Amino acid sequence: MNALPLSRLHSVLLKGEFAVTAECGPPRGANEEVVKQKAQLLKGYVDAVNVTDNQTAIVRMSSIAASALLLQIGLEPVMQMVVRDRNRIALQSDLLGAYALGMRNILCLSGDHQAFGSQPDALNVFDIDSTHLIHTVKTMRDEGKDMSGYALDKPPRMFIGAAANPFADPFEYRVVRLAKKIDAGVDFIQTQCIYNMDRFKKWIHLAREEGLTEKAYILGGITPLKSSGMARYMKNKVAGMDVPDEIIKRMDNVEKKKAADEGIKICLETIEELKEINGVSGIHIMAIEWEEKVPEIVKNAGLKN
Amino acid sequence: MTKLDKPNVTLFHCINSIDEKLTKSYIHKRNINVKLISLPCSSLVKDVYLLRAFEAGADAVAVLVCPENQCRHLQGSIRARKRVERTKKILEEIGLDQERLSVINVSITDQLAVSKILQEIVAGLSDLGPIRVAA
Amino acid sequence: MIVGEQKPVREIIDTIIRYKKLLILGCGTCVKTCFVGGEDEVAALASALRLALKQEDRKIEIEEQTVERQCENEFIQEAANAVARNEAVLSLACGAGVQALAKRFGDTPVLPGVNTTFIGIQQKPGLFTEECQGCGNCVLAVFGGICPITRCSKKLLNGPCGGSQKGRCEINPETECAWQLIIDRLTLLGQHKNLRAYIPPKNWQPSISGGPRKYIREDHII
Repeated sequence: MNALPLSRLHSVLLKGEFAVTAECGPPRGANEEVVKQKAQLLKGYVDAVNVTDNQTAIVRMSSIAASALLLQIGLEPVMQMVVRDRNRIALQSDLLGAYALGMRNILCLSGDHQAFGSQPDALNVFDIDSTHLIHTVKTMRDEGKDMSGYALDKPPRMFIGAAANPFADPFEYRVVRLAKKIDAGVDFIQTQCIYNMDRFKKWIHLAREEGLTEKAYILGGITPLKSSGMARYMKNKVAGMDVPDEIIKRMDNVEKKKAADEGIKICLETIEELKEINGVSGIHIMAIEWEEKVPEIVKNAGLKN
Repeated sequence: MTKLDKPNVTLFHCINSIDEKLTKSYIHKRNINVKLISLPCSSLVKDVYLLRAFEAGADAVAVLVCPENQCRHLQGSIRARKRVERTKKILEEIGLDQERLSVINVSITDQLAVSKILQEIVAGLSDLGPIRVAA
Repeated sequence: MIVGEQKPVREIIDTIIRYKKLLILGCGTCVKTCFVGGEDEVAALASALRLALKQEDRKIEIEEQTVERQCENEFIQEAANAVARNEAVLSLACGAGVQALAKRFGDTPVLPGVNTTFIGIQQKPGLFTEECQGCGNCVLAVFGGICPITRCSKKLLNGPCGGSQKGRCEINPETECAWQLIIDRLTLLGQHKNLRAYIPPKNWQPSISGGPRKYIREDHII
């Protein structure tokens, strides 16, 4: 791991503080105020804010532009970049541009398939995969070269992140894939939302045994549930999501009015458990269309006071 | 709608599904032009045969197949049904009423089956009328 | 084999509507095997078209023929007389066959009756699956004989993605996750090493990305 901080998020992690990141989805439109308003809610409560890249394959304001807006109001973005829509030429070019604009964290992803989005008739790219993107950013940073081997004038020095899903199949291979991403150059990992704590613990145990938690910071994914309907939807409809029946039951067993409170309670309990797990360096809160709850969660979790 | 005085019906059938002699004697008494085409197994029916039957002037075409669990060749009647379903889609694409084509399970022990089937087809045709063709 | 699907009859009618004499030309190789362009399909389509046009008071004469292979000149030659007798040709071959005909019969309109879809195999009667994208740089040795370029929805060389569940692909539960298959097969073959290895980005130059491709065998060119 780099000893000198590449970003504010990196410096928080270097100091050994429990890091908090949150997610901000750019709008389906060119309204910069929406981005700023959403982000303003998070100010002071998080170390960095992930800016999604056309998530679920729906056209939104670009992650670079929305990240730049975040910088304007003093928040540090984690710019997400998917390999679905851009070939290696565009990805590298945008990476250089993003660094020039002041972005210091990147999250390298494959991206949701366009079949899920609003324009399934689009051509996808997938020229390189997410692991290749990690390797590319790392090579740019540490060797100062682009994919062709050309020496860059002022290489971008990004703090490199990636996603990991401990809940997808095949389970045994999930740690192998994490290791591959770390070998390729990942500094930090944000995981899929954790509802199945047992499985998460098994996964991090395996990662620890492989020495992977020493090589990359792992931030556990948190998504507060708003209702039992949402819990069911996540369980049944969202690929790669694991919501155990106990969680569904807990959401079912409270009055509708109090379901949101129960969701927050579950998420605070999850954070408490994560704090105690060796190898977990922080949390990543993905409050889907519920960003206003992030300050409450962070405060009640006893973080960032 | 032009009325059908004497409708043309083509029946494809498995030799094991009906008694041909009995059927012919019955047809003889009715005011229908029936073309009987017997097949050693109903699964030998193909989309092109069914379409050509319509080309040759049939107002309705039916494929008589054995009950699914009584097919001598195990899956013959299931195959025949699938071919008919596919041909129905073609008919729909070219603007012919799907109702004009049917696949019906018939047991050879049911001596009244063909007569009932023809009655139904004729009744159905009184709604559908003849196939519209160029003058 | 090359797999295709017949175009909707309505679409075919729209393309042939101006012709009074039409040759439907089938191909006895790949498209026959996948039930779209052999003698049977030529006959059924001819009948369907005649029925359809008869209802619309349109007259058309349809001639039917099927050659062994539409992508080879020697076989196409057999259709020359029939082509000459007709105003247009509706080809039920793959896109290569259609273009081979168009090249051979320069002054006759050649129309496609089939949407060519993929290079695949017949898994079981009636079920065809895509197996190869003709990327020009085969990587099957590394992946236990299962192609991630073709069979992973995201073309991941370092998969599987987070959407792999119970061996199924996230974009369609009826599609097998190629990476689950790769992991299973490499495990069976004792080639776990390949799973841990970083597979570098693919060189797409030999693929269609490098422009239309050619293959030259000097020793066969006189």
